[in-house]
Amino acid sequence: MTQPNAIIQIQDVHKHFGNVHALRGVSTHVNKGQVLVVIGPSGCGKSTLLRSINGLETIDSGRIIVDNNTIDAKHQNINAVRAEVGMVFQQFNLFPHLTVLENLTLAQIQVRKRAKPESIDIAHDLLRKVRIPEKINMYPGQLSGGQQQRVAIARALAMNPKVMLFDEPTSALDPEMINEVLDVMLDLAAEGMTMLVVSHEMGFARNAASRVIFMDAGAIVAEGTPQEMFDNPTNDRMKQFLSKILH
Amino acid sequence: MASTRPETPGTFQVKVVDRLSGLPWWLILLLLGGAILAFQFASNETYQQIFRRILSGILVTLSITALGYSCALVLGLLAGLGRVSKNVVLFNLSTLYVQVVRGIPMLVQIFYWGFVIFPGLIGLLNVFGDMLAPALGADNILAKIKPSDINLYWVVVIALAFAYGGYEAETFRAGIESIGKGQVEAARSLGMTYFQAMRFVVLPQAIRRVLPPLGNDLISMLKDSSLASVLGVRDITQEARLYASTTFRYVEAYNSLAFIYLTLTLTLSLLTRWIETRWKQL
Repeated sequence: MTQPNAIIQIQDVHKHFGNVHALRGVSTHVNKGQVLVVIGPSGCGKSTLLRSINGLETIDSGRIIVDNNTIDAKHQNINAVRAEVGMVFQQFNLFPHLTVLENLTLAQIQVRKRAKPESIDIAHDLLRKVRIPEKINMYPGQLSGGQQQRVAIARALAMNPKVMLFDEPTSALDPEMINEVLDVMLDLAAEGMTMLVVSHEMGFARNAASRVIFMDAGAIVAEGTPQEMFDNPTNDRMKQFLSKILH
Repeated sequence: MASTRPETPGTFQVKVVDRLSGLPWWLILLLLGGAILAFQFASNETYQQIFRRILSGILVTLSITALGYSCALVLGLLAGLGRVSKNVVLFNLSTLYVQVVRGIPMLVQIFYWGFVIFPGLIGLLNVFGDMLAPALGADNILAKIKPSDINLYWVVVIALAFAYGGYEAETFRAGIESIGKGQVEAARSLGMTYFQAMRFVVLPQAIRRVLPPLGNDLISMLKDSSLASVLGVRDITQEARLYASTTFRYVEAYNSLAFIYLTLTLTLSLLTRWIETRWKQL
């Protein structure tokens, strides 16, 4: 069961929300440098799975091991795990009272204990990487959704995470802004960042995913390479789902 | 200014009416009343006397408000954090505090601090003093201190701070809860502790949002500081009462008192509005 190269291991994870059994014994793993894309109908548990990897949701049983730190139902080690895991949210969740630069340096200074000049240098580099260096002194409210999401990616990267989690990063964006965010994510994948992405962007999945997981009703029902999953889906539920989202 | 070229007859009148009804008449009337009173203060010797007498209490009024309000902000922030805490003990303690303090009239709380809590504490000190008499000597300060040694000024400050701490707690709680859950999640996912997330992410936004109610409470406290007079603390209200009861010049005394309170509250209200607009630009 234990994978030697896995940076994330998820072992038989269960989670309830009241009477809803949101995760029903999910097990999978992500190897270093892999991009895992999770798809599935709404309410299938894919966001819950992602959020439990950095402790935003507690789990009822099972284990999640991130880079040798174990999260279990007792919910220990959570800060050790969070330091290694970057998270990008559907709603960006930038800090609106801080400038772009301050958004990028706050956690570097407070959590990583970096000196301010160093954190500013890192912020500059990352803003160049997400292609909006000119927005450094603006407030999030002055940016478009796509720009905000790229700042959010840069903010997560500033902590030098070993793994990046993306929770539907383009779902709240206007269509014309989706690609600028996906391009940044493709760059990251090409650089070898380990990524776990909840997304319905099939183009991204095809281009970047090492593996695609299809979840339904709290369980993984199919997994494979993008080609296997999209071109020759064998699972009926998966076929149904694809026919709906591919129009 | 009215338009110089009215397009159709009647437009001019309509515009004038619009302009006139849009003026802050309440302020004009208030300033007019104020000007009449100010004229009285300047020309009428009785008023001058009263005014000087009342103003001798202004430092007491202002310092009670400033001290009480500062303590109330600290208490309110702590209790407000307790009200949003997942810790059962902190939550229940702060809720108990808020509910008790908000359910008792301000006047009664001042009596309670002055005539129950402080005398009780003094009694306790006396007991300790007697117990420690062998070590400290029979006339040590703990044994000798009397309820009449209490400075009632501080009783009022503490009573106001405690009561308003309860109100501010609810204000802070509302502000904190108005900040989306995503903000805390983003902060936590960056590795910040709960307190770092509160301090750097939630509170700066929450406090900005609750500035208007905080400003209102400052003005309320200034007005409630007049209750100091029931303990005989010589704030402006007490000075006015004393003057009126010895000279029977009630009309002049309370005219002047009301004038001073209004000047203070209106100034504070303008000041808080100015601070709010400045903070909103940030």
